[in-house]
Amino acid sequence: MNTAYTPVTIRQGFGLAYQSQHQYPYNAPANPPQPSNTMSPSSDQQQQKFDWPQSVRNYVQRTFQASNEIPGVGREEKESRLKEIIRSEQEKGTMFTTNWDEMPLPQQLIQKERQQALMAAVDPATTQSKSPSFAANSKKRKSSDFSESEQTNGSPVPWRSTKALSLEDRVSKPANDKRLLMDGPLTGKSKFQKNVEKRQRRGDGGYQSSYRSPSPPPPSGPIVGLNESLEKPYFRLTAAPKPEDVRPERVLHHTLDLLKRKWRKENNYNYICDQFKSLRQDLTVQHIRSEFTVSVYEIHARIALEKGDLGEYNQCQTQLRALYRAGVKGNPIEFKAYRILYFIHTANRTALNDAIADLTTAEKEERPVKHALNVRSALALGNYHKFFQLYLDVPNMGAYLMDMFIKRERLAALANMCKAFKPELKLRYVTEELAFESDAEAAQFIIDYDQELLQERDDHIVFLTAKAGQTFENARAQACSRVDLKGQI
Amino acid sequence: MDGLIRQFRVAYAATNGEQLAETLTPDVQAHSAKLRAIWGPGDLRSMTADLNFLFHQDQARLSIRLSKEETSGWYAIYTAYWKAIGEILAVKGLRNGAQSSWAKVYEAWKDLTLLTIRGYTNHDFENWTIPCLYVTGRYLRLYAMRADAERVLSSDNTAIDDLKDDFDPQAEENKCLEDCARHLNRIFQICASDRAPLEESRKWGVYYAVNLLFKTYFKLNSEPLSKNILRAISAGRSDIPPIDKFPKSQQVTFKYYEGVLAFLEENYVEAEKHLEMAWLMCHKDAQRNLELILTYLIPCRLLTTHTLPSAQLLKPFPHLQKLFIPLARAIKKSDLRAFDIALRDGEDEFIKRRVYLTLERGRDIVLRNLLRKVFISGGFEEAKNGAAPVRRTRIPITEFTAAMQISGGEAIDADEVECLMANMIYKNLMKGYIAHERGTVVLSKSGAFPGTKV
Amino acid sequence: MVAPTDKSADKSATTKEAKPEQPTQQTSTAALEEDDEFEDFPVEDWPAEETESAAQTASGNGTTQHLWEESWDDDDTSDDFSAQLREELKKVEASKRR
Repeated sequence: MNTAYTPVTIRQGFGLAYQSQHQYPYNAPANPPQPSNTMSPSSDQQQQKFDWPQSVRNYVQRTFQASNEIPGVGREEKESRLKEIIRSEQEKGTMFTTNWDEMPLPQQLIQKERQQALMAAVDPATTQSKSPSFAANSKKRKSSDFSESEQTNGSPVPWRSTKALSLEDRVSKPANDKRLLMDGPLTGKSKFQKNVEKRQRRGDGGYQSSYRSPSPPPPSGPIVGLNESLEKPYFRLTAAPKPEDVRPERVLHHTLDLLKRKWRKENNYNYICDQFKSLRQDLTVQHIRSEFTVSVYEIHARIALEKGDLGEYNQCQTQLRALYRAGVKGNPIEFKAYRILYFIHTANRTALNDAIADLTTAEKEERPVKHALNVRSALALGNYHKFFQLYLDVPNMGAYLMDMFIKRERLAALANMCKAFKPELKLRYVTEELAFESDAEAAQFIIDYDQELLQERDDHIVFLTAKAGQTFENARAQACSRVDLKGQI
Repeated sequence: MDGLIRQFRVAYAATNGEQLAETLTPDVQAHSAKLRAIWGPGDLRSMTADLNFLFHQDQARLSIRLSKEETSGWYAIYTAYWKAIGEILAVKGLRNGAQSSWAKVYEAWKDLTLLTIRGYTNHDFENWTIPCLYVTGRYLRLYAMRADAERVLSSDNTAIDDLKDDFDPQAEENKCLEDCARHLNRIFQICASDRAPLEESRKWGVYYAVNLLFKTYFKLNSEPLSKNILRAISAGRSDIPPIDKFPKSQQVTFKYYEGVLAFLEENYVEAEKHLEMAWLMCHKDAQRNLELILTYLIPCRLLTTHTLPSAQLLKPFPHLQKLFIPLARAIKKSDLRAFDIALRDGEDEFIKRRVYLTLERGRDIVLRNLLRKVFISGGFEEAKNGAAPVRRTRIPITEFTAAMQISGGEAIDADEVECLMANMIYKNLMKGYIAHERGTVVLSKSGAFPGTKV
Repeated sequence: MVAPTDKSADKSATTKEAKPEQPTQQTSTAALEEDDEFEDFPVEDWPAEETESAAQTASGNGTTQHLWEESWDDDDTSDDFSAQLREELKKVEASKRR
């Protein structure tokens, strides 16, 4: 019955086909190296046998580009490391799935290892033996002596703004999932961070690298900090931290107070963000996972939201989710709502689906969550009327998240209106339906796409829908270009 | 080991790959006695001695022709298999009080898998033996899931790495399955990249391997990885035989996953193509699989052709009836309220299957049907000059508002009604335009509701 | 598990002969699989007569179109609806005037 396999009766030369799986077609040419040298296979037969994806070829090319040279790392070292890396991926079976575009170059890895070796030689305390499970050391809920008087507990935080904020305050950075990837790959932290990102974005359609950097030996337990300074700039860890650098929790509580005051007074985001990252790092290396930790992440997340820094917000959100799940108290409802709005922004259907799956019936009735779910379903069915009404009254800081995709939805609504309403509409109708702050704002929005679409009448302005043609449809398509929200029917 | 190696030789003499794979099948339920016999007293040294004899000294070994390389490969494999059997029996409590864990089973089976792979890369295994690769891959995945489930039940999962700023919350959740995915990928590679002539090629294993990978990636929620595999198979890999030359079981499985992938990306037209093919080709008695295919095919067709499953289609599937009939009924009756209720009632399962977001768009069809009813109930206009009577096409929006309030069971404001009308027009479910100032909808004289005969 | 008609390659047939060691254990590897996963078919291949397509078209006219139906229903458009509509319309007009 089996049609697919014809029993082999005569042995052919299998031996030839499978020898030296681990030889590489690339060999260093005898001539002086040229910067943009592509692979010169020593044997065509062997090269064809392994159909390397284009991304691997690009990786090899980048390795030998002059612009990627690192002083002190010679050609032979690079080549030898390159072979190792590629062979390792082949053996692990990940060659087709590894994100080669993000893979650190061989010379970068070499340099990093040298740095680590150097630090180890300088300070023996950083090289320690592998320790047994860390889990036993994690501190569960610590009753915090930190005053939570400014926490939301569902109610507005002091810095939560109304829609009356000026536009400058609403400047939004683009969804910055990629931002962290552009961090230099020179340090150990960034590779671990990549694994974090990988897990975070499992449903997000982000890259999935199975690459794992060689991990420096971990210390033998959570350290207890000795650093008394309130403020401390952030540095990525390239080796185990020293107790003198880390602030104990007692100090961190004061730090948080200080940062909150400074944020209100100075509003210097770069400084605050840097300080918060440093705060988080100190908590992490001391394995502190308490309500205080939650409040740190929550506050940082809200600040990031206010500044439109989605990358930082997303990091905090991921940590909060795990902390809530582990039973640490905080404001899970608030952040579950943010999560839904975030996935609406990234148009991540899978994540949305799973976020809904994550909710209990009771949670679905809580105001922030209910609001977010209503936003989702309004958009899913193109009910822009309902959507913009929901935009006018958003719990907590959700409005900042909605700001991220409000333009896209306005374009979609205008595309609808231009197709359906003929020949024209009062501008006022557009202003109200699309929740613009004024006729002027609405007019500006339209004019940005086509100046000829507005016309003055006696006592009002009209929007000439019939003249718009495909203008807004095209603009909408472009704004949604990451995912075709209309579906592809 | 005696019996096992005898089986091996019989299978080898007949070049029967499936028989050969049976010697590596750890079917504890069906064959626990057999497996216990293989394990014997559990003494590694005596087992090794046995194997040594069987492969290197036993006269009977000459009944088949094995090269030195092949011998060495199979020797290592059966040793690893024996060890794995030990763990499997122990974890099932069938080994005289010895204990084990699924994690250990997984590790042992992984060793076996790696050795099997090496058989093809290093030990000249002939390609007809490839069912052995299947059975190791298949069980590797199953054991990985068991091992991951076991870990979840036992301890706190948080992996703590002191060189990060933050914890890595999901480091441990699917550790084994992710590891497994890498090995399955390797199996895929050695199948896909085989250069032997087609009659003997390992390329015939490609779809088996791909299906294992699909199952794994789906469990890992990793659609991008699935897409990578799809790309590797389709674009430019013209040297893989066309899929219709492969056994139906592999075709159906592949088409199912290809369809679900497209579905999850909202490529409904494409998804329907694949799912329909999977369904038509599926074995008529494979209830479970037919049901799974339909679970996606039904929502798909709702959006592509606006058609509903008939009673006859759903007859053999009581579970699907429960899921879909209330929705279908609401759609046919253009009952908005019933639709919302049916969607809510089925929400948990729809979400689980990832069809909720698709099904909710069925509300558009309910609305379209409702507006169509208003249109029809508006009757005809005076026929002019003996021409055929035409339906009234200028309809006050208030009539639509009234209809929606009846159907939805609650009040709705005029602006929202107009918004929904605009939607119908935008989505080509209704043809015409809205005269906002006059408060009417002007429908097209021909085909006001495309595809519905009016 | 469904018993396929083709027994020649049917491995699961052997499970019927084996005595269950522990009654509580599930049969075969299906137990190890997720209950919402696409199952392994018990046979590798089957003839065209055993496909779902064959089963569905045998009774009908050679296509599977009869298994799907239109999403609208004209039988429902009755005087009842028109009457209801008129009633509701009055309410809508009334609230408009307010």
